[in-house]
Amino acid sequence: MSEPILQVQELNAGYGDFSALEQASFSVDHGQIITLIGLNGAGKTTLVKTIAGLHKPTSGKVLFMGEDITRLSAEKIVSRGLSMVPQGSRCFNRMSVHDNLLMGSFPKSARKHAKETLRHVYELFPVLEEMKKRPAGTLSGGERQMVAIGRALMARPKCLIFDEISLGLSPAIIKDIYKRIIQINENDKTSVILIEQDTQRALRTADSFYVMLKGKMVLSGKSNEVDAEMLKKAYFGI
Amino acid sequence: MIGKKLGQRDVVVLDSIPMLIICIALVFGLYLSCITGIASNNAMRYMIQIFLFITLGEMWNLLSGFAGMTSLGQQLYIGLAGYSVAVMTTKFHMGLGAGLAVGVLVSTIVALLLSLILFKMQGMYFSISTWVVAEAFATLFLSWKFVEQGSGMTIRVVPYPRIGEICILSLMICVVAMITVYCLLRTKVGLGLTAMRDDITAASAVGVNVFSHKLIVYLIAAVFTTLAGGIFFINKGIIYPENGFGISWTVSMIFIVTIGGTGTVGGPIVGAVIYVFLQEILARYPGWSNIILGIITILVILFLPTGIMGTLQKKLRFEIFSSKRFSFAKHK
Repeated sequence: MSEPILQVQELNAGYGDFSALEQASFSVDHGQIITLIGLNGAGKTTLVKTIAGLHKPTSGKVLFMGEDITRLSAEKIVSRGLSMVPQGSRCFNRMSVHDNLLMGSFPKSARKHAKETLRHVYELFPVLEEMKKRPAGTLSGGERQMVAIGRALMARPKCLIFDEISLGLSPAIIKDIYKRIIQINENDKTSVILIEQDTQRALRTADSFYVMLKGKMVLSGKSNEVDAEMLKKAYFGI
Repeated sequence: MIGKKLGQRDVVVLDSIPMLIICIALVFGLYLSCITGIASNNAMRYMIQIFLFITLGEMWNLLSGFAGMTSLGQQLYIGLAGYSVAVMTTKFHMGLGAGLAVGVLVSTIVALLLSLILFKMQGMYFSISTWVVAEAFATLFLSWKFVEQGSGMTIRVVPYPRIGEICILSLMICVVAMITVYCLLRTKVGLGLTAMRDDITAASAVGVNVFSHKLIVYLIAAVFTTLAGGIFFINKGIIYPENGFGISWTVSMIFIVTIGGTGTVGGPIVGAVIYVFLQEILARYPGWSNIILGIITILVILFLPTGIMGTLQKKLRFEIFSSKRFSFAKHK
């Protein structure tokens, strides 16, 4: 086994005096799906924001494909191949679906292949091609989430982070979106990090899991060997 | 832009060669009327105002309408420009060109330094901070002996430029400013700006460098606001801290952009023309003018939220100076 694609080592981060992340460590192997689960306020979003360069850590290290990316800016991290689908299906509302997707290939490294990647994204989400001229602001929640995923794929990521992808979506749509995520993982060998509150579904999809509580990693292991009782205790901190 | 996205039918984008010819002809016509003296001094007085306010409006529109940075402190650069010209001509006996050049230099340095502090703030906090900084400069100039404190400075050069020359200069600044905005919006930077305006977090998540985008826009706005402000005070001949650094500059920019149409390149032209004529009419009713301007702004926001230009473009399905971009992958 080669070295992990993403390694997070003892990451600390916070907002003012409040520390949201304490010594958080985890790693993702090439082509692996992992999930980070935890309650609201456990520090999951802070963790991925810090990894993606949208929030500055106070200490610790993030290594992506062996390179230290801890202090790199967000756009440099994206062009290295680490993309994020932010929480809450965030689209550029006044731009068309097509333009939203093209925005995803904003980094220089992705622009050369924009046409090719776009075709790939439309194959994955045919419904987006049908509505490519519509402003993203007029789409439904599930469609907007697809736009956000497609946009992240446009940067040709080697590792993709989904922050609470199922938030506010209907079960049928969540199921469909999870199917696409598995497809992305299998076809492109993209490593995937799922940040979730929907524990059951995330565990079924992921190879391994990490549980966060109050900024700390409290439990980790392989998804198929999970002990329900221990998981519950770690999840709620009882 | 908004009209184009919301409509289902196709929108006629008037950006072709004929439009370019009309624009060049219009500019050339204005230029000729200035040098040949067809336009009377009174007409040129209006034209100077209109050209300068178009420039100021375009710049404020670029900041607020396209980059989402609603600055209430653009008067800072107008004041710096006026004082640079006054100091260079009166104290150092240099020409007006040197005054404007120093103004641009000073503004650029101030803008660079301020960007480090101001860009840490967003939304309302950014707006208020820009205003506070401008007020701080006003206070500084009020108590600074070198610039004659509150008694103000006059701009003295021999020979003083004629009104026709000032008019041509304003026209040039206005045209260059509009070309700059138009071109900027069609580059990758413009694309990044549109994304930032819609969702700043999502924009940085796809790799838009928010800081550098803001900096480019802020610097361009500072430079052109300086140039327009400098010419305004060359035309006026005298500057005080209150009228150099006054909030009324930004009030007029907001009026022009809101009336004309936020986020449209054509909007500030319509807004500036209306503003200059309204100002002239309202000058007869001192004390009422700001109230009337305020009422008009509120009415426009209520009934024409996209401004005159925005509403016209949506109703008649056309677009001038479209900011449609995408250079790296063509629409099908």
